[in-house]
Amino acid sequence: MRSLRLPSFALAIPAWAWLVTFFVVPVGAVLYFSFGYKPGIFGTHATDVLSFDRYAEALSPTFFEVFMNTLWVGIAGTLLCLAIGLPVAYWMAVKAPANRRGLLIALVMVPYWTNFLVRTIGWQIILAPEGWMSQLLQTVGITEGPLEILYTRTAVLIGVVYNYLPLMILPLYVAFDRVGPALREASKDLGANRVSTFLRVTFPLARPGIIVGLLLVYIPLMGDYITATVLGGAQGNMVGQLVASQFQAAQNWALGSAMAVLLILVIMVSAAAIGLQLWLVSLPFRARNRVVLEASA
Amino acid sequence: MTTTAPETTTDAASRAPEASAPRTTDAPLARRARRSPVDIGLTVWSVLVFLFLFAPIIVILVYSFNNGRLLIAWNEFGFEPYRALWEKPAVRDAVAVSLRTGAIAAVLATLLGTLAGIALARKPGKWALWFIGLLLLVSVTPEIVDAVALLPWLVFLGQDAGLSIFNDGTVRLVVGHSLFSTAVVTYIVRARLVGLDAQLEEASADLYARPLTTFRRVTLPLAMPAVLAGLLLSFTLSLDNTVVAAFVQVSGSTPWPVYVLSALRGGLRPEIAAVSTVMLLLTLAALALVAVVLKRAGDSATQIARTMSGG
Amino acid sequence: MAEKSTPIRILASTEQVPILQRAIDRRRFLSFAAAMGGTAFLAACSSSGGSTSSAPVATGGALENSLSIYTWGDYDSPEVVESFTSDFGPKVTFDSYGSNEELISKLVAAKGTSGYDIIVPTGAFIPQMIENGIIQPLNKDLLPNLEHMDPAFLGRSWDPENEYSICKAWGTTGFVYDKTVITRELKDWNDFLDAAQNEASGRTSVLDDPAEVTGLYYWANGIDWNTTDEAEIAACEDFIVNTLAPHISAFDSYPGGQAIPQATQVLMQAWNGDARIGIMESPDPDRWQWVLGAPATELWMDNWAIPVGAPHPEAAHAFIDWTMVPENQLLQVDYIGYHTGAAGIEEAASEAGLEMLDLVFFTEEQIATMRDGEVNDAQQANVDIWNKAKAAAGA
Repeated sequence: MRSLRLPSFALAIPAWAWLVTFFVVPVGAVLYFSFGYKPGIFGTHATDVLSFDRYAEALSPTFFEVFMNTLWVGIAGTLLCLAIGLPVAYWMAVKAPANRRGLLIALVMVPYWTNFLVRTIGWQIILAPEGWMSQLLQTVGITEGPLEILYTRTAVLIGVVYNYLPLMILPLYVAFDRVGPALREASKDLGANRVSTFLRVTFPLARPGIIVGLLLVYIPLMGDYITATVLGGAQGNMVGQLVASQFQAAQNWALGSAMAVLLILVIMVSAAAIGLQLWLVSLPFRARNRVVLEASA
Repeated sequence: MTTTAPETTTDAASRAPEASAPRTTDAPLARRARRSPVDIGLTVWSVLVFLFLFAPIIVILVYSFNNGRLLIAWNEFGFEPYRALWEKPAVRDAVAVSLRTGAIAAVLATLLGTLAGIALARKPGKWALWFIGLLLLVSVTPEIVDAVALLPWLVFLGQDAGLSIFNDGTVRLVVGHSLFSTAVVTYIVRARLVGLDAQLEEASADLYARPLTTFRRVTLPLAMPAVLAGLLLSFTLSLDNTVVAAFVQVSGSTPWPVYVLSALRGGLRPEIAAVSTVMLLLTLAALALVAVVLKRAGDSATQIARTMSGG
Repeated sequence: MAEKSTPIRILASTEQVPILQRAIDRRRFLSFAAAMGGTAFLAACSSSGGSTSSAPVATGGALENSLSIYTWGDYDSPEVVESFTSDFGPKVTFDSYGSNEELISKLVAAKGTSGYDIIVPTGAFIPQMIENGIIQPLNKDLLPNLEHMDPAFLGRSWDPENEYSICKAWGTTGFVYDKTVITRELKDWNDFLDAAQNEASGRTSVLDDPAEVTGLYYWANGIDWNTTDEAEIAACEDFIVNTLAPHISAFDSYPGGQAIPQATQVLMQAWNGDARIGIMESPDPDRWQWVLGAPATELWMDNWAIPVGAPHPEAAHAFIDWTMVPENQLLQVDYIGYHTGAAGIEEAASEAGLEMLDLVFFTEEQIATMRDGEVNDAQQANVDIWNKAKAAAGA
């Protein structure tokens, strides 16, 4: 019987259509506003006169200042997520009992079914300077004086890492799981020790998943602005807040759109730059003997 | 995937300075061999991280029994918040809306994302670059831009274009929630399949299986962990979606996070913690149900996947 | 607001023009034929934009079965809502929003089809809503309980005749400080600004709103906080961004919900009702001192309003009227902790034993120092100053 010969992108068509209809078209319209202006106090946008003026306005020193802070939070947060999440994902995919893995994945997700604000309050209760945790730590002697974490850079990172950890753990888990025990065994059969196996077999093969994890954390984190401020206060000022402020408080959609475009561009550029550096760093760890290993699997 | 037995055997073997001792194939005695420090370290670390993840949740659970006015200020132990939550239909409705739209959006996003991820992994063509660019754009666009863009568009579709389905609150929320989630699922599924050799699918085709059969019985099971992870993640993201939801909701479909954020003005009451606890239990129950159903129905599929992946 | 003799010029997008025209026509019609059944009128002006629901107008007819209220979260006493349903019939559903701009964007985009019967905008945004034709005039014949309202809180600058809105709750801005850390007495905004730079440096929070942040400078220096004068705005920016911001550790609009009970800050700008709840729920209320902003501060007011296109206007009017019944006013004050604008409520509240009434009710002299806010040309400048302050505070 004849099988249907579908073009290569056929399976992607539903997603494409969905995203184009509900994302590209409306967001395209909003981006079009970025060439417009704000018509008077009570209007939000007008596009009868087009210009790049909003972009000039958006490229202010404040934008750069805040972007630098955002970059710091973004990179530090992502790297921390990686450092914390990678061992967990590896443990879940490789070391944990196989029949428990589904449960473990679910357990990673369960905390996030509690509302974001409520989770934050949970942290505020834990980190309260005059709360039980602070008193406990003082009694035990780990800290002198009350806990002074809230409204500091540390709190920003705690908040960010806490909220983005599953976005790192899950793709990493999937990636390590993909490698499979067969290849690891084969590597050990061929005389590699554990570290070597990890560096030359597991890690390189899991790389696509690791990259997904990094992207899934870094990119939305750079556009996010609430997470960093809830525990960190002013220290968590992020550039997404500038965009939101134009759409909300200032009701200036034109300027907001221009800032959003700028934000998107700088995030993409920074992601590419960082990706490039990571790639350079990981060159020594590339799976060079890929063909040989696969043949023996 | 396999148990840890072969792992520990080879670990024991590889700990020797010249790690060339031949592996014993069946070593039931070695099954409970000393776990290496690294293993223990990994387990301890993972337990600590899980504690870290659950710390605020446990706190909220405890504070859901706070008979006080403010969630954050412990007054005394009691069941007042649970009783009060019974009297507020607004709260129950919000939770129902969130759970319902979360489930639908998760299924939809997983469907779209899985297909797209498979296409990207198996048959990337010139279109792949553009598609990934689109996905990146979806991930990088600030939520407020999405929200402000989607509302007039949905109103246009629902009113001016006459497609009245877009006037429905649930449909609007599902649309809003599914955008980012689709991108997430696509990434994860693609990463899973990419580099996983297409041999198995080729073998299946060699054995005269139709493309649809190959898809159903080979590709999909191979991608299954990613699909399930994506499903879970989509549901989770949808439950927390605030900005887009706030803008596109219609009368009678306020989702839970929008309610919580707008209740800040009056000082969050302990009922919020009570509701969170109840929601947690509901979602856990649903998950358990899904797991049981999957286990009964999907046993064969996952078995095949396991065997073929060398487990 | 606009005098009826000069033509009104309204800037609106083309889709909104039919709605605006209907609103203006309707107002003229109502003004001389209030009690007419409006069916013929409604049929004549059914919408051309594809929406099939023609909006009914409240004329004192039978109440509908349901009522949809779009308001701030948890902003009404459940008892009042329940008693409304049991006494009058309509089932009430609540939906929530978190900011006025969100509310306005939604109503403008929905073009009269939002499905909400009552909304609760803050006063400063009402002129904008009137101009965009998204709220409709109230039928005061259906609101006899207006007589129980204190005239001081009716007829505000954004709606002098209360054609479109009625006070639901009002509040003001001041600050709270920790007496164990700041041992001297703080009395006004200048003291606040001084303490923020000294004892409370790094442990100060201000409200997360552009007008509130710039207001700090204006109120302390006797300038009208709605000013659009460029020199004044520049001076404000210089002070807020360069002098004050580095000492601010958080921009928090609800310190009563966390910072006061947990004592994570030492000096906090706060709204009166929020401060009251925070102090009452604090484990050690005596350590906190509330100070009303002086020599000037704001009066913000949330109002009942009915959007254009409300499907159940009869029930909407009935509900608004119901909330103005004195017993219900008291229940509302007790639940939300803000003054609802009713007459004689202070005596009723103290008789009922409500605590810390000095944070809910104010003397006439104090009220005289409270100014209404406005959304005007300075808004963009205020937002810029606010953003720069945040950047400077986080540096």
